[in-house]
Amino acid sequence: MRRRSAGDPALDALADLRRARRARRVADIDFFEALYRAYLTAILAGVALWLGSGLVGGSRMGAATAASVDVHGAPVVGLAVALVLALGLRSGGQGGPLALEAADVRHVLLAPIDRSVALRPQAWKQLRSGVVAAAGTGALLGLLAYRRLPGNVLEWIACGGAVAALAVLGGYGLAFVASGMRIGRRAGTLLALAVIGWGAADYATGLTTSPMTLLGDVALWPLRWRAAGAAGLLLPVAAALAGLAVVGGTSVEDAERRSSLVGQLRFAATLRDLRTVVVLRRQLAQEVPRQRPWLKLPGRYVAPTAPTAPTAPTAPTAPTAPTAGVADGAGTGAQRPRPRRNLFPAWRRGWQGILRFPALRLGRLASLGVLAGLAELGVWRGTTPLLFAAGLALYLAALDAVEPVAQEADHPDRRDAYGIEAGDLYLRQAVPSIVVMTIVGLCGAGAAALAGGSFLGFEVGAVMAVPAALGAAAAGLMSTVQGPPAVFNSSDTLMPPEMAGIRNLLRTVIPPAVAMIGVLPVLAGRHPHRGLGHLAATTAVLPEVLFAGVVALGWVRYHDRLTGWWRQSMEEAQATRRPSPHTPS
Amino acid sequence: MPSGPPPALETTVLTKSYGDLVALAPLDLTIPDGQRVVLVGHNGSGKSTLLRMVAGLLEPTSGRAAVFGHPAGSMEARGALSYLPDNPVLYDDLSVLEHIEFTCRLHGAEDWEDRAAGLLHDLGLARRAEDLPSRFSRGLRQKTAILLGLVRPFGLLVVDEPFVGLDPQGRDAFIELLDDAASAGATIVVATHQLEYVQKVDRCVALRDGELVFDGPPGEVDVLALVGY
Repeated sequence: MRRRSAGDPALDALADLRRARRARRVADIDFFEALYRAYLTAILAGVALWLGSGLVGGSRMGAATAASVDVHGAPVVGLAVALVLALGLRSGGQGGPLALEAADVRHVLLAPIDRSVALRPQAWKQLRSGVVAAAGTGALLGLLAYRRLPGNVLEWIACGGAVAALAVLGGYGLAFVASGMRIGRRAGTLLALAVIGWGAADYATGLTTSPMTLLGDVALWPLRWRAAGAAGLLLPVAAALAGLAVVGGTSVEDAERRSSLVGQLRFAATLRDLRTVVVLRRQLAQEVPRQRPWLKLPGRYVAPTAPTAPTAPTAPTAPTAPTAGVADGAGTGAQRPRPRRNLFPAWRRGWQGILRFPALRLGRLASLGVLAGLAELGVWRGTTPLLFAAGLALYLAALDAVEPVAQEADHPDRRDAYGIEAGDLYLRQAVPSIVVMTIVGLCGAGAAALAGGSFLGFEVGAVMAVPAALGAAAAGLMSTVQGPPAVFNSSDTLMPPEMAGIRNLLRTVIPPAVAMIGVLPVLAGRHPHRGLGHLAATTAVLPEVLFAGVVALGWVRYHDRLTGWWRQSMEEAQATRRPSPHTPS
Repeated sequence: MPSGPPPALETTVLTKSYGDLVALAPLDLTIPDGQRVVLVGHNGSGKSTLLRMVAGLLEPTSGRAAVFGHPAGSMEARGALSYLPDNPVLYDDLSVLEHIEFTCRLHGAEDWEDRAAGLLHDLGLARRAEDLPSRFSRGLRQKTAILLGLVRPFGLLVVDEPFVGLDPQGRDAFIELLDDAASAGATIVVATHQLEYVQKVDRCVALRDGELVFDGPPGEVDVLALVGY
């Protein structure tokens, strides 16, 4: 094999190309625009910091609580680090996380040059961006921790930033190793589960056996210095070095598949087109519906059989009953299926789609349910901000569960051909999704009961399952039905720019907020009033929560009518403002 | 022990499947150096899958493909094989000339300027050489991709549905360029639905539902009926 040196003409060409393109990009930057973006980012970061500080609270923890954090904090941080590493392994198993340009795959990866040399700069670029972003986030978390815990503020910021950066460094490193060595999806998932299991075992046993928990120790250095934590720094660095060394082995097939999808995914995320993000993310993970459903619904449609060549006449046999679903002959060659009487075609269609959910999606739904349940347990025990985590987990699950409705929204021409109003169709198809979300909620109730070690947890969870499912499903439906924000809306011209911004913000915020309303009863149950027990207090607020869910479903039902009416009103208003060509100026 | 130069392309029990869907059933195929081969079959027959595996863009589920004796996708195979895809993929911010220069340098081509000028002229792109292909029509982008496939050195040219989007002049020009490449000793493998092109080749390979249904001279049987055209 030819060995390519630094003076290789092909590699020089690649370096020249990258240099020239970078220079062109820099030349194209509008510096005023860039400054404006930096200004907006600073404002948003400030708001996030202010809100985050408010959530954490300003009061210092007592000595007992701080001691508890000292003991249990490292495994908790270690578990979070394990999750980041697991994400890396999963992504690497699927050929990620490199996101190359499609033209690079076709022109550079198919050229006779060393792929390691071609891919390493791209890998380094992604790694660098990820680590810098993580360091910023970690520093912010360190600052928030300082508000509650003793220690030096600079130490908290430095340790928070360092641990987050190292976690992401390790995640990227393991991802590059997994994709460079082509371990495959299954092995990637198994290794990811093993890493999470290792972190969880440390948490459950209180022992420090994993490098993730050692890294967790580093996060708590401002509380107590443990020299052993320094060993935790080795894994991320080693993983990153190994990843950069083997990244050249990344599959071209995976690189090509990802190159087209990642670009679209970024574009959809920029437009806040959540449905497209969901669909593209599934494609990226090669998550396709099952060829055969988990269960076959009774009264299946039977496809017509192809005409067969005439055969020699045989002895007459006794007449038999026609096959179910197939009309008897009619002399047309192909047999026609007999139309079946189906009272609930929309429900049936919904279940047909859900019963083809791949195992991965079902696993994700159950995991999100468990996560929501554990977060609610945390709320129950006093950590109120976990309410956001519970609502968000259910909202994410709902985006999967409302797939039947999303399919209709994705294909408006077919949807409009049914002859019933779109909103009516959405509501009919929402029923299977609500059932699925109820099962998800029950998974959460089970997890909360197991983790909390009391049957009350399951009772409260079970009581909340239906309203939480309704809220989450309604939120998922709202997101799906409203679609991406229009690039240009006729009403924009009559609205001040600030209002358009607020409207876009509301479009993004309201659906997850609806999902969070569904989990609010846990707060009522936590602090029972008027002499009610925990369960009775939870049940007492269910009507209000159910009402909110019904209102959200009503919005889904009449969304098309409302938007149509609004658009028409705006157009009429515009027409009256526009000067008539016959009006003298 | 076989002697002589390795074939331009050799597949041994080459298979590609996606779950339970078999895109290409085990295929044994040997194409000697210098031969012109056309690959026919209806949509979904496995033509593109075969070509993409040979080019190294897809990984076989089992079996192997070799280009001049080197495993498909290896550095040597990439140097010897030029792949022209059915969908042109180009950089948005490079002009046609910059694409040419980059491609030639990546492939270590020498004295490419004259060849590039000739190809630009033959494909009717001479006046658009400084333009960005991102602003081109589908046909012009296809011509640019053809140019990039032909301007670099190669021993085996693998072309997938090359006539899509080309105007009649472009189609004729491309067929002439394929003739020139064949005259220069290159092996040509073309997957196409273009029925008239089938008559210009030495050998026809027909696929149906991922399986080989015919391999021989194009005039021998009614290949088109065989694959269901």
